[in-house]
Amino acid sequence: MRRAPALPPGGVLARLDPWPLLGAAALLVVLVFVAWPLSELAVESFIGQESGRLGFENYAAFFGSSYFRRALFNSLTVGAIGTVIALCIGVPLALAYARFAFPGRDTIEVGILLSMLSPPFVGAYAWILMFGRSGWVSEFARGLGLDLPPIYGTLGISMACAFGLYPLVFMVVRSGLARVNRNLEEAAYSLGRGRLGVMFTITLPLVLPALLTAALLVFLGVVSDFGTPAILGEGERFPVLATLAYSLYLSEIGAEPGMAATTCMILLAITLVLVIGVRFLSGRRSVASDTGGSLALQPLVGVRKWAMTAGVALLVLTANMPTIVVVVCSFLEVRGAVFQPVFTLANYQSAMVAMGNALWNSLLLATIALALIIVVGAGAGYYISRRSGLLPRALDLLIMVPFVVPGTVLGIGYATVFNEPPLLLTGTYAIIAIVYVIRRLPYMTRSCAAIVFQIDRGLEDASLSLGRPPLAGFRRIVLPLMQPGIVAGAAIAWVEVFSELSASIVLYTGPTRTLPIAAYQQAATGDFGLAAAYSTLLVGIAAIGLFIFLFAARGRRERAFGWV
Amino acid sequence: MNSGLPQHLSIDSIVKRFGTFTALNGIHLSAARGELLTLLGPSGCGKTTLLRVIAGFLQPDAGQVRVAGRSLNGVPSNARNFGMVFQNYAIFPHLSVADNVAYGLRARGVTSADIARRVADALARVRLAGFADRFPDALSGGQKQRVGLARAMVIEPELLLMDEPLSNLDAKLRIEMRQEIRLMQRELGITTVYVTHDQEEALAISDRIAVMDKGRILQVGSPRDIYEQPADAFVADFIGGCNWFEGTVSNGELRLAAGPRLACAAKPQTARLALRWEDLRLATEADPPHHRLSARVAMASYLGHRVRLQLAPQNGGAAICADLPSHGEVPAEGTTALFAFDPQRARVFGTDGTRLL
Repeated sequence: MRRAPALPPGGVLARLDPWPLLGAAALLVVLVFVAWPLSELAVESFIGQESGRLGFENYAAFFGSSYFRRALFNSLTVGAIGTVIALCIGVPLALAYARFAFPGRDTIEVGILLSMLSPPFVGAYAWILMFGRSGWVSEFARGLGLDLPPIYGTLGISMACAFGLYPLVFMVVRSGLARVNRNLEEAAYSLGRGRLGVMFTITLPLVLPALLTAALLVFLGVVSDFGTPAILGEGERFPVLATLAYSLYLSEIGAEPGMAATTCMILLAITLVLVIGVRFLSGRRSVASDTGGSLALQPLVGVRKWAMTAGVALLVLTANMPTIVVVVCSFLEVRGAVFQPVFTLANYQSAMVAMGNALWNSLLLATIALALIIVVGAGAGYYISRRSGLLPRALDLLIMVPFVVPGTVLGIGYATVFNEPPLLLTGTYAIIAIVYVIRRLPYMTRSCAAIVFQIDRGLEDASLSLGRPPLAGFRRIVLPLMQPGIVAGAAIAWVEVFSELSASIVLYTGPTRTLPIAAYQQAATGDFGLAAAYSTLLVGIAAIGLFIFLFAARGRRERAFGWV
Repeated sequence: MNSGLPQHLSIDSIVKRFGTFTALNGIHLSAARGELLTLLGPSGCGKTTLLRVIAGFLQPDAGQVRVAGRSLNGVPSNARNFGMVFQNYAIFPHLSVADNVAYGLRARGVTSADIARRVADALARVRLAGFADRFPDALSGGQKQRVGLARAMVIEPELLLMDEPLSNLDAKLRIEMRQEIRLMQRELGITTVYVTHDQEEALAISDRIAVMDKGRILQVGSPRDIYEQPADAFVADFIGGCNWFEGTVSNGELRLAAGPRLACAAKPQTARLALRWEDLRLATEADPPHHRLSARVAMASYLGHRVRLQLAPQNGGAAICADLPSHGEVPAEGTTALFAFDPQRARVFGTDGTRLL
């Protein structure tokens, strides 16, 4: 046997475990960009707006004002109704996809994916086009002598949000259903239960944690949304917490940053209570089981097969209707505030002039943010999933916090803290890129942590024993295996970052205006044709990005979008 | 075979704790160059922990691991040049068989011509010559483990570490593979530390076996020593099937509660006698009465080369077993028969587990 093994060069770098160092650096970043602004807001909320004294003055003022109380009530109502609507769309779809084979399954699924693409405020704008005071459905109904209920307010906002957020319910509940051990349902059938009986006594109770999680995600999405209530709430008439905080902070006449901070804290308190509540409710109930595999799809025959297709297609089409309306309208001629049935590219021509560098800003900022999200998220996901101890746990917690912090809250926090040295960032591109990264990092980290959890640790031990230092092993073994998780996380992060509005609306200045901001501004106040063109560009570019990722994922050994 | 030879691997006072749990409690062990040393013990005994300390995946809280006289403290596992074979194979799923085997060579900057040759050699050695371009998901468990073996051997490791390499394979393949591993290891002369909980595998494959329990090594010896001369009641009980009889030593004699007695020079105390199942046979005229035992056959299980009897001793006491040759005379279930043992086959242990006889 030959001797003298050629060992790799044993420099300091090869011997050092770099992960704690990288982890500490990441922790420092989230401390500065998550913990600092939020704690600053918390402190400010306790400094009296009038007196400047420490205490509950702002909170007393908040609950003493009927207008503020109404904003709180509106947020909760809109959240609850929106959640119910999203569940009503998402759960039947999830059941259909998890249990039945029917024609057109895959095609219709693309439609569900598309619903995710368009930010809720685009949908909100479509509702105005259809059901607004001068909307064409309203006009048509008025012609028939019918007076439709107003779309502004609770109903419109909850529906617009639910139509954008139901895909979350679909994904979460479907994957919950896929994890239910098939033997349990088979046992129930063998004991004489019918299909509906099994669904209500076995299937749905087993996916209760998934249902709760889905409901939570939707509720958080609705109460955190800024664009939809800002458009459908008609400014001050129908306040919710997110729009209230925004106008308190940025009002041109007499801004009240203390009250804005207080409103932010109340909004944050609602989301935290819900997150903790849901964790508590579904905490100990682990019903997922990896044995047995999921049920094979039941083939439907004859009329039932086509009825299923029709039902599913109708649901998805309805949910996509707002986006379709906006896209179609963007190609219609506008006269006054009314779309004419004449196709034209005029809206795009004026958009090219009017939008300035908004499109360029969006592409640049979203690309930079996505690159950072991929690098930091993949590294942090790996580190959090593989290492134990205080540092990775703290990092995990702080990275996840922005997941439940409404964008407006984070935006106001940033505007408060980074308005002065040592970190003077207001008005820069950097602050928008950073808020993009911090808000959407949780998607990537979760997605990566989940897939790292499934990668056998022995692979890394094997790589070490074969002579590769830890980082080289990570790059050659772990990273390629993480790719499906990275692609899935990046796809969602791209869509979310590209259409981010709630935080950037607080932080942008003229030169750093982005496409979603431009679209929102036109939808809220300005030109209907421009708004439609901007929104279409927004949805279209988000879709192109998403399909590039989908395409990149194709041909991989695992289906990256298995969980989507 | 160890004493006198220069020790290639020496392990000195290793202690490893996880929180308040002591996984390794002062381990001393050594292996000569080219030796196959097996760590054998029940799950949780610390054998895998010890292997991972040797590999450098775990840092010991105290003690030293030396290879060829060089201390490995502070040397990361990627600089140790030890090949490792894993229980669940740990084959890189996104790399072809050839790339898996070449992985360690690439890390060492071997030229690509050399890599190609050495990978081909290694695959031929594990009888996977035609499999170079396959991907792991197209391999059976046995083939995966052969890739794992080739991958660990091809780097010409100073030490080969094997962590229950066969326990995920089915019974027949396990026997076949362990013979292959043994032949290859001897041929290449690689010092090997082999972890298993399967006593038969340990007996079949090892130069020496270290029996472990609760983070300690109870006995190190050749397979024959371990089986026939257990130094400790745990070792006797863990390896092979044993019947245990309670008794007391007095006046140079051990008297069993069940009746039989035999000479024992230890000082007066309570003691236990261990008798392997195959050392209990049907009594003949030549057996003295005090080496006999009458028992009722509660159940007879035919196992092919022998018949295992579950026995209820006539004068009470715990149930015992006897393995009789299946081609000989076997008493029927429900009948009572007279059994006997040879006193030189009996091992006597004190209450603390130490060997008395």
